[in-house]
Amino acid sequence: MHSLRNPRRSAAVGVAAVLTLLFGACSAPGASEKAADTPADAAAVSGSDQAGSASPGSTDPIKIAVVDAQSGQLSSLGAWESKGAKLAVDEWNKAGGVNGRQIQLDVFDDQGDPTVGTNIAKKIASEGYIAMIGTSESAVTLAMAPVLAEEKIPNITSGQSPALAELKTSFLFLNGPTSVTYDESLAKHIVDEKGIKKIAMISNNGGYGKGEHDAFLAALSARGVTPVADQVVTMEQKDFSAALTKIREANPDLIFIGSEEVEAGLIVKQARDLGITVPFAGAAPQGTPVYIDTAGAKNVEGTIVSSPYLSNETSDASKKFAEAYKAAYNETAELHGAKAYDGTNIFLTAMKTSNGATGKALADAVRATKYNGLLGDFAFDESGVGIFATSIGVIKDGKLVAAS
Amino acid sequence: MQVFFQTIVGGLSIGAIYALVAMGFSLVYRTMGLVNFAHGNVVMIGAYVASTFYMTTQLPFAVSMVIAIVVTGLIGVVIEWVLRPLENRDFDLMLIGTIGFGIVLEALATIIWGATGRAVPSPVPAEPLNLLGIRVRTYNLVVLGIAAVAMILLMLFLQRTKRGSAMQAVAMDYEAATAVGIHVGRSNAIAFAIGAGLAALAGGLVGPLLYVSPAMGGTLGIKGFAAAILGGFGSIPGAIVGGLAIGLLDGFAAGQFQGYSEVVVFLVFTALIMIRPTGIFGERTVNRA
Repeated sequence: MHSLRNPRRSAAVGVAAVLTLLFGACSAPGASEKAADTPADAAAVSGSDQAGSASPGSTDPIKIAVVDAQSGQLSSLGAWESKGAKLAVDEWNKAGGVNGRQIQLDVFDDQGDPTVGTNIAKKIASEGYIAMIGTSESAVTLAMAPVLAEEKIPNITSGQSPALAELKTSFLFLNGPTSVTYDESLAKHIVDEKGIKKIAMISNNGGYGKGEHDAFLAALSARGVTPVADQVVTMEQKDFSAALTKIREANPDLIFIGSEEVEAGLIVKQARDLGITVPFAGAAPQGTPVYIDTAGAKNVEGTIVSSPYLSNETSDASKKFAEAYKAAYNETAELHGAKAYDGTNIFLTAMKTSNGATGKALADAVRATKYNGLLGDFAFDESGVGIFATSIGVIKDGKLVAAS
Repeated sequence: MQVFFQTIVGGLSIGAIYALVAMGFSLVYRTMGLVNFAHGNVVMIGAYVASTFYMTTQLPFAVSMVIAIVVTGLIGVVIEWVLRPLENRDFDLMLIGTIGFGIVLEALATIIWGATGRAVPSPVPAEPLNLLGIRVRTYNLVVLGIAAVAMILLMLFLQRTKRGSAMQAVAMDYEAATAVGIHVGRSNAIAFAIGAGLAALAGGLVGPLLYVSPAMGGTLGIKGFAAAILGGFGSIPGAIVGGLAIGLLDGFAAGQFQGYSEVVVFLVFTALIMIRPTGIFGERTVNRA
């Protein structure tokens, strides 16, 4: 009996298991694929597998894949995105589909993991999806882009990393502005209009945080402003005492955050506990309910946000969208859902105008589509970016409102 | 100087959580010789159960915590019950079984509570104490206190009660323990239940500090496991010291190495383990695996 408890062997398994967990924390390709497979697989098997290459006159459903994080730390974004995309598709289907063809929307879980994303890209190519509504994780989109370009699958991503635009593949589109636009508008408001020059920065070392850090620093440099502190944290970090105390010693008038919703919220909460009272500023994540809830409404008061979608009240279109979103999911609509809704509508419009084209023809149709969406007037350029402006908002009483 | 002391305060605060997680790892290990890799996910379940009762049914925080501890304790019993047929047969499969349970728990949490997660308001909303410019959150003092009390209670249970001594006996030599009439399976089940209860304690307490989501078990589990190893795997005081040490290491690495802190933490951890493989309070008697 004792031989079964071989100490070396179990120690080896233990170490292997720890390694699995260590890497699993940010990516668990094996396990994840299973999660991603099940719902989509079932749908793919039941649906016609050749729908993508069907001729324009076909009545088969048009297959579109939604790929975003349905699990893991960034899954709140994925949930919003897939809801926005689904809302658009449901509206089109209710109105008779695209040229008489219904749209079949299947959700794949990339877990925020580039490896999983690449596998999914190959999978949707082999299963006849003609377009993809992509994730807000730029790293995943960057990994998927070459596969999708090779397979000629037009896709529109919620990512905002400037690196996406630099790819210049003719199949990748962005459903919002890049970090450069976000942070240029933000720096313009803070430095040029408000005259705040003592600025501290805190950002994480992930794809999004790095992009924000570089874009905002560039925008500051262009104005001759040097940040009084520039702290970088990791995406896994839970305690920010060291970085925040250093920022407190630098005594800034404003702190820029380049981090996702939850971490940014924790940073603000801990900053307030450390006695930092100055306002924060950031891009899209700092306008979301998750950020406000995580930090606490009182703590985020006065946060300056650069966003292409400030609130559901900005226009008639956004009011209508917010109502439909609320009716469908019993949740308040926000930016990420709106972006995915716009992106999906643009693709469906292009499919309609091109009479069910696929591949390069569809990509060209998307590029030619001028769309008046929730985020503004889309007009795509060579790099696949369609929006070049954001508005400045401020959080007042726990709500994001336009800055006066 | 302020940065130095503030980093210590921050490190100890999160370290107390790691310590509670590490205690659960160590308790199961010292009794069964098994690393329960579902432990981090049990922490997450504990956080969800506690926050659900605290936020939606408006129960007092302490009551919600007790409910969470009971619920996750039952989950611990279920895990042990499922793994029991493997006890004494295939130890490696048991380890992999715990990993499987972890994945199941994460998936279950996503189904029940959704993937988005939630923020939990602090049950101790008082302003932080200000000691010569060093700010200490009152809630963190509560967490540190609870961690200390939990450690003392667990030590008393293991050393002063008959059941605890029986568990010690099983840890040292389970065949001899069986021979003198100790129910090994029951002893293991209790270890799993208490371990899971500790996980719920950690999870419930960490909720208001961090953000509760199905993925939160990952980091807490790894750091807690590292803390248990560093303190001496199987040692209860070691788990506390290891947890606080990992918290401090985390804090200072973050201050010094910024974006590379995670790498530095685990490099230092590896070096420490190479110098002292049994950890700070390593006990040879419990090395049963």
